[in-house]
Amino acid sequence: MNYQKNKEELLRKVEELEVEFIHLQFTDIVGIMKDVTITVEQLEKALDNKIMFDGSSIDGFVRIEESDMYLIPDLSTFAVFPWTNFHKEARLICDVYNMDGTPFEGCPRNTLKKMLKEAEEMGYKLMVGPECEFFLFNTDEKGNPSLETHDDAGYFDLAPVDLGGDARNQMIVALKEMGFRIEASHHEGAPGQHEIDFEYDDALKTADNIMTFKMVVRIIAQRNGLHATFMPKPKIGVNGSGMHLNMSLADLEGKNVFNDQEEELKLSETAYHFLGGLMKHARAYTVLTNPTVNSYKRLVPGYEAPVLIAWSASNRSPLIRIPAERGEATRIELRSPDPSANPYLALAATLKAGLDGIVNKIDPPEQVTSNIYEMGAEEIEERAIDRLPINLYQALQELAKNEIIKSSLGEHVYRRVVSAAQYEWKEYSKYVSQWELDRYLRKY
Amino acid sequence: MNTCKIVVADSDSKSREIICGFLKKKGYLVHTAADSSSALRVSRSIMPHLVIMDVNLVGGNAYKTARIIEDDKISNVIFITNKLDNFFYDWLKTMNIYAYVVKPLNLEQLFQTVEFSINNVNRLNELKTKIEQLETSLKNRKKLDRAKGIVMKMLNISEDEAYGYLRKKSMDMCISIDVVAEKIIKKYG
Repeated sequence: MNYQKNKEELLRKVEELEVEFIHLQFTDIVGIMKDVTITVEQLEKALDNKIMFDGSSIDGFVRIEESDMYLIPDLSTFAVFPWTNFHKEARLICDVYNMDGTPFEGCPRNTLKKMLKEAEEMGYKLMVGPECEFFLFNTDEKGNPSLETHDDAGYFDLAPVDLGGDARNQMIVALKEMGFRIEASHHEGAPGQHEIDFEYDDALKTADNIMTFKMVVRIIAQRNGLHATFMPKPKIGVNGSGMHLNMSLADLEGKNVFNDQEEELKLSETAYHFLGGLMKHARAYTVLTNPTVNSYKRLVPGYEAPVLIAWSASNRSPLIRIPAERGEATRIELRSPDPSANPYLALAATLKAGLDGIVNKIDPPEQVTSNIYEMGAEEIEERAIDRLPINLYQALQELAKNEIIKSSLGEHVYRRVVSAAQYEWKEYSKYVSQWELDRYLRKY
Repeated sequence: MNTCKIVVADSDSKSREIICGFLKKKGYLVHTAADSSSALRVSRSIMPHLVIMDVNLVGGNAYKTARIIEDDKISNVIFITNKLDNFFYDWLKTMNIYAYVVKPLNLEQLFQTVEFSINNVNRLNELKTKIEQLETSLKNRKKLDRAKGIVMKMLNISEDEAYGYLRKKSMDMCISIDVVAEKIIKKYG
């Protein structure tokens, strides 16, 4: 990750570190990391961009008749997996290209790159710092995840060891060795819930980092006999897992453009317009920041997750918060995204929303200073505060109505996102849950 | 060796009971695990002196689980197996201790293997620590020599004076002389 090297240097490094396997990684449309593993002997071929794979076997990529695709490794993403000792393994994150050498428009990383280029043409660079939450659960005797957390598991009777905390520390060590700069890590609100924050970086690197982070957390958890899940709301009655995104724009020299010392809240006009865009298009990009049926079970009142589309510089309840730090750290915190989101697409869509705010000079509504969780229905109506979509189906409809956000994805990705979400919703609608049985079986 | 902690990881409850009961009688502190994940959790919790693992442990590949336990320096693993094939022997060669027990179990053989393993491991660990210490001091020595060379050249002083200079810096800055050497090499080397 901290290697920025040319081909020869990388080959030398791989030899020096005695790496035996290289994972060529890319992300599919639903945000799952895919991996083509090659031996070190094939690395040169990979670096010459000659590694092909069958794109039709990946969800949402291509049809069978156009299946051959190329993986183009990004050399700056080289990192060795620190937990592999016996046979050393490393990875390279790749872009997916068509046979004719053009970037494949269904590759989420290409989608984000395209959007970042649009921002760059306007003179901006998106910087993002994520706050990623997850749960650690025990696995059962078959190795399947359970909902039992290590916090209340019986092993404390054996010895006073915090297995989860220990695993989290190992995750941090591994992430650091892979080039992450960790800002903070702590146990979260719910039993078994943890958060690790890493330092902000440019949007592409942060999206890569989020994918890497999820992989590292899962692997280290497994090595600890635990299961890590980024499912947004795995347990009823406790907080879900979010992935707040701290966003700021820098100019091409790297200077934060959200900062304005003269203004009352020390926010620039650009910041207000970006904020205005984020709020205006919130309903449309939610299907990308919260792409699963389960995501909407997190976005309910009472569990520190946002429900209403409002912003505040002082309290943490609304969709958008402006953290108190100013100067170069001036930023906007979007609180709705959850870790099931495909980070490339979520960032492309939210960036587009913000940029549209800047282009069309969209002013945000007045900020909410009181605790929005305690606001009555009347006050909400009076202030014309809208709410986030209540389920995946509604979110999908909102995206269909919004040409601006659709344009950030491109036709291919948009169609695949829609068909994936529709399928998800259809399957879910057919399912009869335990809740329904408990509620209706005796009653009717 | 009576206070040694052992984890018995075997999915067969009957065989687990037999091994556990026998080792307890021999004076060991025994914990059990019935699957791979709990073998990892229990081992990480109690950091045993030895893990005895059946190769047919369910819930994950036993060999890979054993590799994690040894790679992460939690403990050392000896296998229980009912299938002595080339794959097993090849894998065994990569483990810390070349020892195993076969099923059906001969308890006396098990006891001997456990004793042998724990004693050998202790010796092995002592040697490993010694080697590590020697390697570090050798590395530091080399660093110090290099830093001395740099200081001698820069300030045009003798070797003793250069050493004195580094020692003074280390005392002034309240850091070890090796760290001072490292800093000098990084900055001027």
